[in-house]
Amino acid sequence: MKPDSRIGPHRSAGEERCRIFDLGSRLAAESGSQDLRASVDFSRAGFRLRMGIDVPSTGITALIGPSGCGKTTLLRLLAGLETPRAGCIQLGDTIWFDSDHRIDLPSRKRWVGLLFQDYALFPHLSVAENIAYGLARGPERAGQVALWLERLQLQGLADRRPETLSGGQRQRVGLARALAPRPSVLLLDEPFSAIDISLRQSLRLLFQEVVADRRAPTLLVTHDLDDVRYLADRVGVLINGELRQLGPTAEVFAAPTDAEVARVLGWHNILPVTTYDGLRALGGWGALELLSQVVDRTPDVLAIRPSGPRFCVTHGLEVELVQVTQMDDYQALFCRLPDCSPLRIHLARSEPCPTPGVRARIWIPPECILPLPRSVPFPDSVPTSSAPSRGRRHA
Amino acid sequence: MTFWLTCSPAPLLLSLQVAGVVLVLFLVAGIALGYALSQPIPLRGLLDALVSLPLVFPPIAIGFFLLMLFGRHGVIGGPLHAWIGWDLVFSFPALVVAAFIAGLPLVVKPIQSAIEGSARDLIEVSHTLGKGRLATLFLVVIPIIRRHIVAGLTLGVGRSFGEVGITLMLGGNLLGSTETLSLAIYNQVLDGNFDCATRLSLLLGLLSLGLFLLLRWLGRAG
Repeated sequence: MKPDSRIGPHRSAGEERCRIFDLGSRLAAESGSQDLRASVDFSRAGFRLRMGIDVPSTGITALIGPSGCGKTTLLRLLAGLETPRAGCIQLGDTIWFDSDHRIDLPSRKRWVGLLFQDYALFPHLSVAENIAYGLARGPERAGQVALWLERLQLQGLADRRPETLSGGQRQRVGLARALAPRPSVLLLDEPFSAIDISLRQSLRLLFQEVVADRRAPTLLVTHDLDDVRYLADRVGVLINGELRQLGPTAEVFAAPTDAEVARVLGWHNILPVTTYDGLRALGGWGALELLSQVVDRTPDVLAIRPSGPRFCVTHGLEVELVQVTQMDDYQALFCRLPDCSPLRIHLARSEPCPTPGVRARIWIPPECILPLPRSVPFPDSVPTSSAPSRGRRHA
Repeated sequence: MTFWLTCSPAPLLLSLQVAGVVLVLFLVAGIALGYALSQPIPLRGLLDALVSLPLVFPPIAIGFFLLMLFGRHGVIGGPLHAWIGWDLVFSFPALVVAAFIAGLPLVVKPIQSAIEGSARDLIEVSHTLGKGRLATLFLVVIPIIRRHIVAGLTLGVGRSFGEVGITLMLGGNLLGSTETLSLAIYNQVLDGNFDCATRLSLLLGLLSLGLFLLLRWLGRAG
């Protein structure tokens, strides 16, 4: 790899004035930082992606969202495979794209390691040739290929063609090919979606081990919550082309900013609120006690954790038990509330459970209830590494 | 053997020469145009329309417009004649141009659709791995779509053997000079020499079939 071929147009931090959306947001380049910062506005065929994101050079940042929300499009924009209508993308001090200054570094000069959803291995090349594809020709090439074959446990497969490999092996070849040229940024598009569930966990561990050694921004796009929980240090939630929340993984999962984000993050129970009465929230489904009084705003919904509610004889919400599914380590109960809203709860396998069709009362502890607005737009300004955490809602 | 020798072999040799030249031209221009048309390049729609035109436009009309363009008093032919004294029409290059234009869409379209259908992701991967368009063409695109290239070349060269309309207008159908195999059949029929026309038609059919089998074998062997 030629070092100078990595260098795009440079601009000092003082000269930086990367604006987007006419809101005056800035990408404040930190000297020495190799964070990937992007602020993009892209539209095509009725779909619009308009967001800013900061991917630190350490750890893994995940992006989660429903199908068609723009996750893959963002990766393609960062890789230079699509061109934003407006915006700015920069790695450290190196500008990759700047619509104001008509800078658009071609994909081949960004040195992005991109792992496609279907891995997109070259079918006419062997495993070793696939891994070697992005490496500069020279005496070190064979050694590097051997190194990556070993690191990703692909020894013995060097001469095999991709069509003869299993899904897990292909994924490892794709990852080795993306990592071998030591890319400046690693972008991963649903890397585990085509892998058997039984293999996923071992591959996640391997992936974490390999990626942890690097100090380059890593963005993982997925719709699998387990991928995020196991791998990501930070997570962003993308809905309809807008970044709705971004922050440390545990924080975002614990405190989604709104109902739509909560749904994406696996909060199954979202109940609409009609009114509040002190510490009580009321709706067509009944009344629930809250942990604290809602005073400064009027949340539209209550998000309820599934693993907290319990059956109670004397008080609680009246439900009709519709279905009970025995999972590995818990029972999943699907209930119907008086207003026909669904309620999903998880009970330990040891706990007694009524039979389906029975009406019962369920008590939901206040700490399992999170009052939320229906949706809250994420600020347009691009976060910087010195900015406070985005895990909490921004009013 | 005497069955075949009662007709002059000149049209056959001429057609083979034309086919040989257009095969090389198709190989270069067909792949380049198919690759270019599968990329987001400026004026892609216009280029696509121009390449596809011979599929829908009557060959005789295309030949007429080309004659107007490249004739001694044409927009291009006039200056060429005036500056270097060279005339395209009624010459061997005119036969090549006719065969090339007639067969080009049959070469370009399979290549273009193959790239768009099966090679797009791989082209993008190649770019992210630091390879430019030319390197990607030779390292990824051509090896992956080689069978489609062979199919396109087969169709294009086959079309060049059977081309009459454009060749007639641009080549002039001059006996012994621009009379291709297809035109020879036409001329023999006009002269009432049906025996020779039958022989030449069978020869043309066998030639096309042989070419088809050869290129298919090459595609499989590759």
